[in-house]
Amino acid sequence: MSSRAAPKRTPQVSVRKIEPDFCEFVLSDTDPSVANALRRVMLSEVPTLAIDLVEIEVNTTVLNDEFIAHRLGLIPLVSQRVWDFTGAYDTNDDDENALMDIVFQMDVKCTGDDTLDVTSNDLQLDPSFPDIHPVAYSTGPQDAQAEKGVLLVKLRKGQHLKLKAIARKGIGKDHAKWQPVATVAFQYMPDIRINHALMDTLSEEQKLQWIQSSPNPVFRLNPVTAQVEVVDAEAYRYDGEVIAKAKALGKEGLVNITPRQDMFIFRVEGTGAMATQQIVVAAIDVLLRKLDTLQQSLASADAAMDMDGL
Amino acid sequence: MYEPEEEAQVAPELLGEIDQEDAWAVVTAFFSNKGLVRQQLDSFNEFINTTVQEIVDESSEIVVRPQSQHNPLDEGEEPEDKRVVIRFGQIYLSRPTMTEADGETVVLFPKEARLRNLTYAAPLYVDVTKTTISAATEDLGEPEQAETEEYSKIFVGEVPIMLRSDYCSLYDKTEKQLSILGECPYDQGGYFVVNGSEKVLIAQERMANNHVYVFKKAQATYSHIAECRSVLENSTRNTSTMSVKMLSRAGAKGSTGQCIRCTLPYIRSDIPILIVFRALGFVTDKDVLEHIVYSLDDKEMMEALRPSIEEAFPIQTQEVALDWIGKRGSTVGVTKEKRIQYAREILQREMLPHVTVAEHAFEPKKAYFFGYMIHRLLLVALGRRGEDDRDHYANKRLDLGGPLLANLFRMLFRKLARDARGYVQRCVDKGRDVNLPAGINKDTITKGLRYSLATGNWGMMGTPGLRAGVSQVLNRLTYVSTLSHLRRINSPIGREGKLAKPRQLHNSQWGMICPAETPEGQACGLVKNLALMSYISVGCPSSPVLTFLEEWTTETLEEISASVIPKATKIFVNGIWVGVHRDPQMLVRTLRQMRRQVDISTEVGVVHDLQLQELRLYTDYGRCSRPLFIVKDKQLSIKKHHILKLQTSEESDFSWNELIRAGMVEYVDTEEEETTMIAMSVKDLHTAAEDDTSSIQTYTHCEIHPSMILGVCASIIPFPDHNQSPRNTYQSAMGKQAMGMYLTNYQVRMDTQAYILYYPQKPLVSTRAMEHLHFRELPAGHNAIVAIACYSGYNQEDSVMMNQSSIDRGFFRSIFFRSYRAEEKKMGSLVSEHIEKPERGSTAGMRHGTYDKLDDDGIVPPGTRVSGEDVIIGKTVPLPEEVPGQAQRFTKRDVSTSLRNSEAGMVDQVLVTTNAEGQMFVKMRVRSIRVPQVGDKFASRHGQKGTIGITYTQEDMPWTADGIVPDLIINPHAIPSRMTIGHLVEALMSKVAAQLGKEGDATPFIDLSYQKISDMLHQCGYQQRGWETMYNGHTGRQLKAQIFLNPTYYQRLKHMVDDKIHSRGRGPVQILTRQPVEGRAREGGLRFGEMERDCIISHGCASFLKERLFEVSDAYRVHVCEKCGTIAVANLKKNQFHCTACKSSTSIVQVYIPYACKLLFQELMAMAINPCMQV
Repeated sequence: MSSRAAPKRTPQVSVRKIEPDFCEFVLSDTDPSVANALRRVMLSEVPTLAIDLVEIEVNTTVLNDEFIAHRLGLIPLVSQRVWDFTGAYDTNDDDENALMDIVFQMDVKCTGDDTLDVTSNDLQLDPSFPDIHPVAYSTGPQDAQAEKGVLLVKLRKGQHLKLKAIARKGIGKDHAKWQPVATVAFQYMPDIRINHALMDTLSEEQKLQWIQSSPNPVFRLNPVTAQVEVVDAEAYRYDGEVIAKAKALGKEGLVNITPRQDMFIFRVEGTGAMATQQIVVAAIDVLLRKLDTLQQSLASADAAMDMDGL
Repeated sequence: MYEPEEEAQVAPELLGEIDQEDAWAVVTAFFSNKGLVRQQLDSFNEFINTTVQEIVDESSEIVVRPQSQHNPLDEGEEPEDKRVVIRFGQIYLSRPTMTEADGETVVLFPKEARLRNLTYAAPLYVDVTKTTISAATEDLGEPEQAETEEYSKIFVGEVPIMLRSDYCSLYDKTEKQLSILGECPYDQGGYFVVNGSEKVLIAQERMANNHVYVFKKAQATYSHIAECRSVLENSTRNTSTMSVKMLSRAGAKGSTGQCIRCTLPYIRSDIPILIVFRALGFVTDKDVLEHIVYSLDDKEMMEALRPSIEEAFPIQTQEVALDWIGKRGSTVGVTKEKRIQYAREILQREMLPHVTVAEHAFEPKKAYFFGYMIHRLLLVALGRRGEDDRDHYANKRLDLGGPLLANLFRMLFRKLARDARGYVQRCVDKGRDVNLPAGINKDTITKGLRYSLATGNWGMMGTPGLRAGVSQVLNRLTYVSTLSHLRRINSPIGREGKLAKPRQLHNSQWGMICPAETPEGQACGLVKNLALMSYISVGCPSSPVLTFLEEWTTETLEEISASVIPKATKIFVNGIWVGVHRDPQMLVRTLRQMRRQVDISTEVGVVHDLQLQELRLYTDYGRCSRPLFIVKDKQLSIKKHHILKLQTSEESDFSWNELIRAGMVEYVDTEEEETTMIAMSVKDLHTAAEDDTSSIQTYTHCEIHPSMILGVCASIIPFPDHNQSPRNTYQSAMGKQAMGMYLTNYQVRMDTQAYILYYPQKPLVSTRAMEHLHFRELPAGHNAIVAIACYSGYNQEDSVMMNQSSIDRGFFRSIFFRSYRAEEKKMGSLVSEHIEKPERGSTAGMRHGTYDKLDDDGIVPPGTRVSGEDVIIGKTVPLPEEVPGQAQRFTKRDVSTSLRNSEAGMVDQVLVTTNAEGQMFVKMRVRSIRVPQVGDKFASRHGQKGTIGITYTQEDMPWTADGIVPDLIINPHAIPSRMTIGHLVEALMSKVAAQLGKEGDATPFIDLSYQKISDMLHQCGYQQRGWETMYNGHTGRQLKAQIFLNPTYYQRLKHMVDDKIHSRGRGPVQILTRQPVEGRAREGGLRFGEMERDCIISHGCASFLKERLFEVSDAYRVHVCEKCGTIAVANLKKNQFHCTACKSSTSIVQVYIPYACKLLFQELMAMAINPCMQV
């Protein structure tokens, strides 16, 4: 296979867009396996903080304890400091200084006649970790401008909710609440080649028809040259509509589209727990550590074999 | 009311025709006026408002005369000659109340009745007058003296009240008031609360009475038979069936053809028809023939009667005929006069009682009806008409709650009156004063009604002919299942019957009964469900119709000669032939006109049968009917401006009733439907009107909307018209098992079992009917992103793959509630059970579960985690003292309630209250959260069900370039053979709906093209057929095939592995046979059945088989005497063996046999059979 014989490559990343909850970059000069490993790690192995344990003292709301605990767990917590913590499952007993629990308090009671919304803003932060808070957290008077926070439950007059919520470090593999991203997807860069000779045999109307057969704006008819050209190759979703249309027009081979096996467009949508670029970096970090571990265990296995055999 | 003058002011463009979309305004008007359980409420209201009083009035006055008692001490003294007359008068029904144990009476609301296991019933009172009449004493010259005593409002018993009926405390309450009372505003009522459980009366289907049916018989003896099941209106008397039969071969010697005979009640043998006529006083052949053939020109029919005439030749006078009948009755050895009298009474009272039971002049009416039956028989015999269809829905009647309760109440009230009579008789005989209230047993009605409603055994306790399953516990699994249960119909035909016909869907059920919703298996087609818009008549008096007929020159049978009949139209009212009319067209037109103006009840059925020259009118209860648009001159009577008024009904006060009153819509029953021409849609009507060449010019009605033929469950299905029909039936059954939100007040209810979905969603694609079923407000499912794909193979054979990350985020998470109850039962007058925390020291028979979770009051507090066999309500019963005065080890025995052994959860809520007897009463609700896991069952709305085969986290799931990951992956093999195209169309439309942020319309029978949906999808930037390119989550490679990835509404069904998982090593055995017990709840064994046995035999594993069936089951060691083969006595401790049969103690051997075998031997020995074991 050609890929085996391929020269040594250095994967390239070119960042296209970075927003707080979204980033898009192109990963090139590598294989789908690497791209997928990155995607999978971002989804399931980049640690974040999330509420894991809830002690409910008073709950006279319409939702039961488990329900509220589940909703609390799903609130994304700003996890910049996640690396300072140790997961509940990774602790060693000898490490007494390991940071584990972040304790939030909540005590809300509805006294007015209107229903009261209990949101993530009602969580009182852990004084030892004032920088760990739910996303879009704001205290003080709620005006229309301020972020409303994540709705937990609505209270009626007289209803009371008092609880202690303990946040811990964890990974998305254990529970989706620890996922730093809502979704990560990559797509193979399409390589679109129009057979212009064949295209010229089409009438203008047919060309337009053909262009419109694609659900996404991939092609357009240049009004000056009356030529069909690619506007946005990445909009192509490999739906095959244009190829089918070409066949229907009797012009098979009008266009040739192949997915490039060494270029991937990544789109990362964060939850707010971490900045998206941080997630990517963290994912690479996790991957590297995995490789490290693998290398180490290989080395020790080699050493063991040396001792045994030779 | 709607005024026709208004029409002048309406703008001309609004006088135009309506379109199909406008019909929905009419549908909305129907449901906002009627709700979904109107049939139940109407029929119950009719029962309370009129029937109860009628039943009380029916009971004739009780007259009691003193009967002379044999008294040897003072002989000769004449008993006082007086009589006591008791008459029941006006009845009064109060609001539902309950009497507490301390005697206080309070108004009862349904919530309290449900929680405290009370009966939601209202007290019934009746006015009674007692008149004591002392006879005139002649010697003193005193006239008759009457002394009247009035008892007003004597309490006669409690009548359970249907929720939301006119007498319910919830009647006319606003939504807000209902919430305050702890009721769900969406609850429709229509059921009863008996001993705390909600009971529905299932409508019972039966054949209509007083109809003449003619059937061909395959039997040897008779070729044709005409039947009439005659019942006098409002009587408890059983149906008296009369049949007229035509022999299949020439009868006795000398006869020339097929004779016709009939059966009369209480007469043992068949009577030649001529004899019946002669007994009725129609002696001459001509008289008789006129009553049968009507026109003496009909030679063929006359010829068919010849054998019958010849057969009856020897009997030529009325006397002889009556005697002939009398001889075949139950009279033995009585005089001829008595016999004749007996025969006359049979003819008067028992033969065709519905025609008349009058003592005088009954003969002509009965003769005409009898003749009519023969006429109909001959029409079929001569091949002029086909036989009648037993399964035609016009021939069926539905007994709803009202009539069912009425029959029961009638029986109970008669018993009450009978008992009262007995009491008065005893008082009068003994010369005591009659204290009437004491003679009326309050329990007869209270307990009688409660017994039938609580058990479903319809009829008085202990009497034969109990019908089981009439009253059922209301299904509260999901809102739809409740609604559907309230609209169910049962046909009490033997389930075993192999006859397929009564189970098949009949053409005449169109619009009345849902074509899809019926169970599978034994009850298939016998249990039905009402279509959305069907209306069941409650019955109205026939007198207005009769008066009308009289006014409009109907000639009664007495007035006319038989020769008129062929030229006129026969008129029947409720099966009774009342006369003939010579201008039926005019009569029918007027009748219909009057019905449309509500001058006579809208329920009245007008059937003009041109073939038979009959006009049949019906006013009875239990007929199925449905509303239809009225068409006049090829145009709907309803116009655009009416629709506008309907749409603004709050201002215009124009609603369903106005539509009826204005004659735009009318109810058409199944029989009348046969005489109408119904356009399927408004469009069809327009086409017919525009095109004069159209073959259809005679439309009389138009469907409101064809989708209204479906029932509650089938209306949930999107695009049912794109599915194979059994799939709709499957979904109709599955929709009832879906979890959702069954009522909004579930937190204040204590249902024995309840399922609630955490985050129910309304479907992206819905039908118009759902609006009225409140499916959007109380939904039962999620809009899942579903991929139809093969992906790693964990979705084979109807399993599905589910996204674990979605589950983590709350996808299909649900709560399961189970309620337990305990009460302090009274044991005798002094001893009572006691709810407390049992102590080991003084309590016998303690369970092995933990008692630690109990509070000091003996109840586990809310918020406690409980699991299998934990004691949750502690209760003890005092043990009787064995030796008086001596201290006992145990003074109490444990009768605590413990949690089900296979369940676990948190105590959600505890209710501590008192029951009707004032005893302490506890209900406890335990909740457990059910997160979807491998083995749980899910289904789409198209009969596509499956269990989870595996759950994959998000990174393992396939994804699209947009980052969309499916929640569910179903297998493509589920589609082709099942042909559920609706599933695919729903998915496609859901995607468009999700993209556009709109709801999709999936109502059946509307114009729809796939291409339109596809084009919209294309415009949204998706592949037009809903396909997406996906990437393998494990490898990152692009999948070769495009995947159909769309949102689809899925339901979570109540079947979950956690409730089914079961295994056992050792465990409990039955006491009798010592074989393992059965069932998971009892921790029973798994049956190693015949087929498993066969399998092992074929493997040759004999020893394994012995182990499974014997050693692991009920092996038992016995000692057997070798000599006689009987079981010997063995004392293993002393090593002594002894055979009691042959008195020997040598040669006794030990064998192992099944304990069941030992048991058999002993039972045989008890029957004096000695089984010997040759060892």
